[in-house]
Amino acid sequence: MKRILLLSVVWLGSQGLHAQTDYTDRHRLARRANALANTYPQYASVRSLAKTAGGSDTWLITIGTGEADGKPAIAVVGGIAGKHLLGVELALGFAEQLLAGSATDSIRRLLEEQTFYVFPNMSPDATEQYFSALQYERNGNARDTDDDRDGLSGEDGYDDLDGDGKITSMRIADPTGTYLANPEEPLSLILADAAKGQQGGYILHTEGLDNDKDGQFNEDGEGGVHFDRNATYGYRHFLPGAGEHAASEAENRALFDFLYDAFNVYAVVSFGPYNNLSTPEQGSKGGQPAARGQKIDSWSAQDAKAGAYVSEVYNAIMGVKDAPKTTAGPGNFAEWAYYHYGRFSFSTPGWWVPRVEPDSASRAGGRGKATGDAQADPVADYLRFARSEGITGTFTAWKPVDHPDFPGKRVEVGGVHPFVLTNPPYRFVDGLVRKHADFVVRLAGMAPRTDIVDVRTEKLDGGLTRVSLKVFNTGLLPSLTQVGERSYFLKRIAVHVKTTGKQSVVSGRRSQTLQAIPGRGTVELSWVVQGNGPLTIEAGSVSTGTKTVEVSL
Amino acid sequence: MKSHTYRLLSLALALQLAMQALAQQPENILAAAGSPPNPKVSVSWNRYHDNTALEEIYRKMAAAHPDLVSLSSIGQSVEGNDLWLLTITDRTRGAADRKPAAYIDGGIHANEVQTVEFALYIGWYVVEMHAAGNPFFKQLLAEKTFYIVPSISPDSRDRFIHGPNTQHSSRTGQRPVDNDRDGLVDEDDFDDLDGDGHITQMRRKSPYGQYVADPKDPRRLVRVEQGQQGEYELLGYEGLDNDGDGSINEDGAGGYDPNRDWGWNWQPNHIQGGAYKYPFSLPENRAVADFILAHPNIAAGQSFHNYGGMILRGPGAQEDEPNFTREDVIVYDALGKKGEELIPGYRYIVTYKDLYSVYGGQFDWMHGARGIFAMSNELWTANYYFSRQQGSGFGGDPNEQYDFDRYLLFGDGFVDWNPYTHPQYGEIEIGGFKKSYGRMHPGFLLESDAHRNASFVIYHAYHTPSLEVAEIEVTDVGGGLKQVTAVIKNGRIIPTHSAHDIANRIEVPDVVSLSGGQVVVGMVVENRDLGITKEQRSDPANIRVSNVPGNGTATVRWLVKGGTKFTVTVVSKKGGTASRSS
Repeated sequence: MKRILLLSVVWLGSQGLHAQTDYTDRHRLARRANALANTYPQYASVRSLAKTAGGSDTWLITIGTGEADGKPAIAVVGGIAGKHLLGVELALGFAEQLLAGSATDSIRRLLEEQTFYVFPNMSPDATEQYFSALQYERNGNARDTDDDRDGLSGEDGYDDLDGDGKITSMRIADPTGTYLANPEEPLSLILADAAKGQQGGYILHTEGLDNDKDGQFNEDGEGGVHFDRNATYGYRHFLPGAGEHAASEAENRALFDFLYDAFNVYAVVSFGPYNNLSTPEQGSKGGQPAARGQKIDSWSAQDAKAGAYVSEVYNAIMGVKDAPKTTAGPGNFAEWAYYHYGRFSFSTPGWWVPRVEPDSASRAGGRGKATGDAQADPVADYLRFARSEGITGTFTAWKPVDHPDFPGKRVEVGGVHPFVLTNPPYRFVDGLVRKHADFVVRLAGMAPRTDIVDVRTEKLDGGLTRVSLKVFNTGLLPSLTQVGERSYFLKRIAVHVKTTGKQSVVSGRRSQTLQAIPGRGTVELSWVVQGNGPLTIEAGSVSTGTKTVEVSL
Repeated sequence: MKSHTYRLLSLALALQLAMQALAQQPENILAAAGSPPNPKVSVSWNRYHDNTALEEIYRKMAAAHPDLVSLSSIGQSVEGNDLWLLTITDRTRGAADRKPAAYIDGGIHANEVQTVEFALYIGWYVVEMHAAGNPFFKQLLAEKTFYIVPSISPDSRDRFIHGPNTQHSSRTGQRPVDNDRDGLVDEDDFDDLDGDGHITQMRRKSPYGQYVADPKDPRRLVRVEQGQQGEYELLGYEGLDNDGDGSINEDGAGGYDPNRDWGWNWQPNHIQGGAYKYPFSLPENRAVADFILAHPNIAAGQSFHNYGGMILRGPGAQEDEPNFTREDVIVYDALGKKGEELIPGYRYIVTYKDLYSVYGGQFDWMHGARGIFAMSNELWTANYYFSRQQGSGFGGDPNEQYDFDRYLLFGDGFVDWNPYTHPQYGEIEIGGFKKSYGRMHPGFLLESDAHRNASFVIYHAYHTPSLEVAEIEVTDVGGGLKQVTAVIKNGRIIPTHSAHDIANRIEVPDVVSLSGGQVVVGMVVENRDLGITKEQRSDPANIRVSNVPGNGTATVRWLVKGGTKFTVTVVSKKGGTASRSS
């Protein structure tokens, strides 16, 4: 707790340097990332991991002293979804805050013991759409794709009918429409519920024309491949944005290649749409790990137990509990990090529209609860939140336009602006960065660490000595996840007995590897050695550190 | 020195060839039916070729048949070897990438050595028969393209041929993997203790042994019955505990399976043993996948493996069964059952049901992601030892393997047991079947089986779609309009789109276009007799047809203003193009 307070003070002191008022585009990202390497050359290095199809850099900031790849590490990833600009700020802001904290003893020690690989933006082509003349929520990179698989690519994208530089919605007054104005928030449209006798009066589309006259609107625009649909776990073919196959994109491959070779990583923190921090992953049914060769699709009981504590820490730092439930989509990154990469994987969007009670006192309960008279409506939630915070300029009132595809019908363009449902006003960002940076530092404090304790030697007859010890995982996280136990891309804790002179090991293995050791768990080992003089025993792995003890026989 | 020797050798070789040429002029030869009597490129189909020898054959083929064969590299291996592609078609009769094509490869598992020769034999045979004037091949290469990448794991092929191996090693590529997860890579491979280039077995005389020499063939060890005393114990493949961890040969070169690396139903190594990092994380496979993705005219696929005498189709994993619907299975069955006839002793089977489950296999990707009718032949079967059915196992009756070696190979398949002093095991003997015997074809059976398998692949390629505009009917319907009805016929077994393709819109539709009048309305005819049609409102002059079925038709119709002579053209990615005028 003391560590967090210190960190926060330092951060407040340094934030005046930026005076940034809006999210970070790729030029500013490059400047901020490279500034870290210049300001903290002893702690940070920066390189571009890959160029995307759109020619954007995907940056990697490596933070830690000395031999970074030889120490236990956390990977921090932002820009997982292109429309989630906050993720970029949280990852980059974490790097900045951590380095600003390097003036303190506790952070300096942390940077000596562990490494942080920060990937601030894995969707740099897509996030750029926020800064473009035409603003719309985009997750795909610049790869040319044929999203509706008709042999043409990009033939029916959005059209800015009202010329405001933002793609919002259009509603067409039509008795066959399935939408109606939300009685609670009339600016927002909800689906008519026949079970309640409701009748729709609007057709609702995103803003645009049916450019290719196929009866669909905006079904094949810029497209591109989504970073968060291109990973191997739960990958779904033929889904728009998924790519021709998993890991088809340069940025995905570069990240996976880097991470697979980074044997020292024990946890991945994702700032993206999926949230398994506010509500932790549930352990597998019956707590039994899947049989060998069987697909694994839930956390093991041991991993879930560790995850529950991580969530507790996260929620305490955030101080809010009303996060909406999320489901991880096909080919998403955060689940890949656990189920295929085999590391502890924690993901959070970092912010969500806070719950604000409707003005009408009659409405009981909140989002996520069926109240009988209102359905979940994120736009309505947002409008209430915006009013309560005095946020203006994020909703365009419905205004009629002439639309060639709906002759003789009243077509209006308007609605909530792109990006505002997933990204808070920029003035919120500093506070969120601080909390999330504190969280990552707390997580690092739970790292699995190899220690050797209770070393004992017993003299036996005939110049023999029995050596026994315990290999102790001093961290709260298990030394490997259930997936890590099985995948040959993770290192087990290896134990080596190094003899000197004429010593020989007459019982016990000179070299062996251990199964996962639970958090705060131990494994007891013993050997019988013939001979005398110094004997060294080494235990460890690159993701848990190595401990060496010397005994004298 | 080396180049000098080489030059002398070349000279000697040239002289020898000249002598042979003198004695074997065309007039001295009676053609054996079905074989090219005087091939422009001579290849001995009773031996195996390393990368250098293969490249020489490719270059000779391209030089000798400039209109039929072109040689290019589709990429490089882990160690920088080229992945050579032979593109085979009659280029005087149309560009390769505009014709329906078959993709064929071999050697993905480099220890399955003959797969490369079998793939190459197909290319060699079709061009030499074409050059010999055979009418079937004149027609075939006018209509179809063969893309053949004979060897897609070339690093390990040369390792297998030139380095010590078991029959089963070098299945992997050469990128290092830490198989025993101790932080070191490839630190404990086999050791060729007797230096003969083969990794054979280690045995030790022991009072606790469970094996005795078989009286029928003393080279063979057989297990004694329970309660009986044996003479030998078996200690596994030749090797040492190189890293002192108490295990022998547990972390050899590479250590992954290139045929678990394909982007369909891919699973990581803790679920699918042998998988690498993600689909196409191996550069050899990535090059093949990129090539296939860039060539949508590929409608047939074959990747050769050994062994067991099988003609395999997908699915590799049970959960993929919904993607093999009845319509597609009918096509596979038509091909596979013909294969069983052409290659007696081979069984046409479904991978996951009849062999084992595979996630991320190559032909599953071709079928699943590209809609290609793709199969995999597992070459060589123990049925061939004495032309006897051996049951469903891989190796068959072990006695037959010893007898075949003794009486037909004259002992050339076996390394006799010889004493050796092993640092961990003490006094042992080393011996056993050579790396080249058991999974690979013995020389005299190689050409024969290569030919039978080639005949099957040629049949498969022949039955890629073949489109024609079979009929154009023009009728006057009044109001100054003419009704033009066109029938597109596919004369072969394989449809332009598999059912799985149609369900997932993998390949773009076939496009049937009308020129010669002003199209007012265009439609697909669903039932010509009953007049049931479906209008296409956008771009009606170019009607998009989801499929032209195997041995079937698709019918389209336009109502047209003006014009008297109409031309109908069909363009299909997998079916090629065809045109006809009224």
